[in-house]
Amino acid sequence: MAFTLIILLELTLLYLAFTERVKRFIFILMVQGLLLFGIAYLHLKQVNTLEFTFIVTETILIKGLLVPIFLNRLRKKNNLERLAHSKLPSFVSILAISAAIAFGFLLSEKIHDNDLQSKFFSASIAAIITGIYFVIIHRNIFTHVIGYLIIQNGVFLLSLAVGNEFPLIVNTAILLDIFVGVLVLGIFVNRVGERFEEMHIDELAQLKD
Amino acid sequence: MLVAYLLLAVVTSGAVYCFRNRTATLLSISLFLVGQTVLTVYAFCHLNERDCTYFTFDSLGVILSSVLTILSFATFYHSYLYLGRQSDNKRNKSIYYAALIMLSASLNGAYFAEHLGTLWSFIEATTLCVAVLIYHDRTNHALEATWKYVFICSIGLAVALVAILCISIASSKEGVSDLNLSTIIAHAQGMDTIWIKITFILAMAGFSAKMGLFPLYAVCVDAHTVAPAPISAFISTTLMNVGFLGIYRMYCIVAQTDALPWANKVLMIAGIFSMSLAAVQLLKVKHFKRMFAFSSMEHMGIVVLALSAGGIGYYAAIFHIVLHSFAKAGLFYQIGQVCSVYHSYVIKETGNYMKLNPLGSIVVILTFISVTAIPPSGLFISEFMMFKSLFAGRHYFVAIVALFLLTIILYVIGKRLMHLLYYKGEGVATLEPVKLNNYETFSQFVLLGLIFYLGANPPVFLTDLITGATAILK
Amino acid sequence: MNVLGFVLAIISSLLIPGIITITKAKMSGKKGPGVFQPLFDIARLIRKGNVYSTTTSVIFQIGPIIYFASVVVALLFVPFGQYKGLLSFDADFVFFAYLLGIGKFMMIISAMDTGSGFEGMGANREALYSMLVEPIFFILMGSLALLTHYSSFYDLFVHIHYDSYLTYLIAALGVYLLLQIAMVENSRLPIDDPKTHLELTMIHEVMVLDNSGFDMGLINLATGLKFALYGGLIANFIFPVEWSLYAQIVVFIMVNLLFAVAVGLMESFRARNKLAKNPKWILMLSSISLIVFLCVIEITQKLL
Repeated sequence: MAFTLIILLELTLLYLAFTERVKRFIFILMVQGLLLFGIAYLHLKQVNTLEFTFIVTETILIKGLLVPIFLNRLRKKNNLERLAHSKLPSFVSILAISAAIAFGFLLSEKIHDNDLQSKFFSASIAAIITGIYFVIIHRNIFTHVIGYLIIQNGVFLLSLAVGNEFPLIVNTAILLDIFVGVLVLGIFVNRVGERFEEMHIDELAQLKD
Repeated sequence: MLVAYLLLAVVTSGAVYCFRNRTATLLSISLFLVGQTVLTVYAFCHLNERDCTYFTFDSLGVILSSVLTILSFATFYHSYLYLGRQSDNKRNKSIYYAALIMLSASLNGAYFAEHLGTLWSFIEATTLCVAVLIYHDRTNHALEATWKYVFICSIGLAVALVAILCISIASSKEGVSDLNLSTIIAHAQGMDTIWIKITFILAMAGFSAKMGLFPLYAVCVDAHTVAPAPISAFISTTLMNVGFLGIYRMYCIVAQTDALPWANKVLMIAGIFSMSLAAVQLLKVKHFKRMFAFSSMEHMGIVVLALSAGGIGYYAAIFHIVLHSFAKAGLFYQIGQVCSVYHSYVIKETGNYMKLNPLGSIVVILTFISVTAIPPSGLFISEFMMFKSLFAGRHYFVAIVALFLLTIILYVIGKRLMHLLYYKGEGVATLEPVKLNNYETFSQFVLLGLIFYLGANPPVFLTDLITGATAILK
Repeated sequence: MNVLGFVLAIISSLLIPGIITITKAKMSGKKGPGVFQPLFDIARLIRKGNVYSTTTSVIFQIGPIIYFASVVVALLFVPFGQYKGLLSFDADFVFFAYLLGIGKFMMIISAMDTGSGFEGMGANREALYSMLVEPIFFILMGSLALLTHYSSFYDLFVHIHYDSYLTYLIAALGVYLLLQIAMVENSRLPIDDPKTHLELTMIHEVMVLDNSGFDMGLINLATGLKFALYGGLIANFIFPVEWSLYAQIVVFIMVNLLFAVAVGLMESFRARNKLAKNPKWILMLSSISLIVFLCVIEITQKLL
């Protein structure tokens, strides 16, 4: 069942390539948070109850609810455009992300493992590549933040693979990353939004020789 | 001991931020510096001992921590002079000092970390502190650099976290139950090579954002350009050292397995690319701090090449890191003084420094000799050892390319610095010699003295420490 | 018994267009025409004579007939529960796909035969979308063949065992993909709105603009047959083969009914895509079928 949820996660990555509205990006992050909650709940059987509840609450509260609500509020406050314009057409994005999913799959086949960890690895590599592709393609800083959060989701998925043996430290690291991501980036998106009106990354290109 | 040190850091930085008068700041900073010296001496006396479960006072940590202590004295002093020249915004100054204290504390925590998760968390903390420091000027340029720095460093550290997770997957198959470095190194031999390779390449890519190596070097360069001069000195040395530490720890793990030749190739490619990109970009640089940032990138490339060559290259790498820290710090401190004379860092607007500040010019000449590894600089010794190991390992092509690139870099830096010292154009001939604090150059002379001394006659405890740090690789 | 499946499919093909129209009408709050209204329209068209334009050649006259024939023969392949279709051999799904392709090809060239640039435009788009849909069908059927080690329609559907969550996911994705393929092939929303007559946005309607009378009746009948075709394929995913014959008949009818209602609902609540978005949308379906393929490789542990 956990593997089914992982496949659904990869489907959400494809939907990210397809859609153009910023609201949908936030919605997909929420869906990914819920899927990660499901995977965490089903996979982490050998962890003691306290850490287990910590991990599970962290996923569903922070990834599933608080981060999307926070992003939505940022989006409304900064009056962002409805559509996210990217440098490459969506057609190419869908092909690229399908290639990333296939690449993750082939890489996990090469690891020659039969247990679940290589399956986690393939989906997480696909998510990380998708996040990095997102950051490269889009020009708006807000979508960069969303790409960063997708990378976080990928890293979290991989940490679930070893969550049974090293529970708390790994998940504390993930939590720290989310705080860095959302708080610091959120603060900077606000500051940058105040200074530069359009929040285009082209404006931030003056540090050259 | 380390927990006490971290608590001291938090308390002193909080005190600096809350009480904004001079005596409180001076008291807190001195207290922190004393605590840091005590920590370094304690660590040196209790070499290779565990401390508070997550830290170990191993040799490399002690070396880097002593470099940090020496440089933090100088940085705090120069920061005091630098902030004294600026406008009197107390809040900004207190934030600056508080962030600098937290940065030193996180760096020390990262140097001594034994558990991989601890190492990663402290490096993440340094990203936050550095972001606060870079943003000190509050200009648009600073905002741009800070944004890019935070963003790309976070992505780099996320990739490094994936590397840590891969190594923990590989080690959980061997039955290892914790993420301590010594346990992983002990069990490294039986681990699946594919996981080790993936770990190493991801760690290289992730930590290169901190170290200024090939994939993610751009943020380092931008950050060093925009930060205030004492901060540039600090982060161009100690922060790059922590990036080196991350890569070095992963390299120690890889060295126990069969993936070592492959890892050496990866390091060599990264090193050569860093050096060539630095050389190419140096040819068209117009800003002093940017020039020195690229020079740091080139030196990190040299370190990584030395590491990949093996043999005496291991000793050369660590020795080069230590000496480069002193040399680059001295250079940046002097550039801070240069800026106070000309009020700009752009190379075209400077010149005739010999007349305006003779003492500073001597420092510039001597640090130029040190940084470009002309004898009697200590860096000459370490680069010589590096080339020796490259030729011994039969990497002739790489060595010749590296020599050629070093020549280009020497030419460019020399040309620009001579322009600074001797150019007598219209704009600068009319400037008057500025009355500068004589003690300001004192720190740089101390650092230069250290470089020449360590190069010529390194003390026994230093060589012992370096050999101890590289023992795991043999 | 094989004939029973064929007969049920023909009956549902006559009723499906009517059910779709009624659903759409009810969703808009209208009373709607009766279920048999499309049948009456077809009967009226068949009684009329044909009008052929003087610029056309024999291709325009035989196009619709070949199209209709191809759809009827394709319908002979669809299995019904534990009974084979009237025609069945190994790898017959390839033959099935290309049979439908022949029909579509004849329609396209007959549209171009009229010499109208307008119809050529519609034919052009229709060809593009069919080309993009082809990989989806083949990857989906190919994955199923890989999963069950058989290659004819009948064997494929009989031998799928739902033993893990992953096979349920594959079945769900397969049903979704077949549903969307049906929408694309029949030129329904969101690819093409059958009601729109805004010139630059028509696709299928503009292709058949010049057909009239008996030919038009055949084309409308073929549309209904294609719906029944895909409905039958979807029903096969859902049939548990162990049930009795009567239960299977009921399941078949229910699935076709639900299929028609689903199509009606999808059409009522959805806007038609911007034309530039259509290739993107169909490519998305290909990526989903790629994921089905990866799932199957995961289950069978075979790497090509």
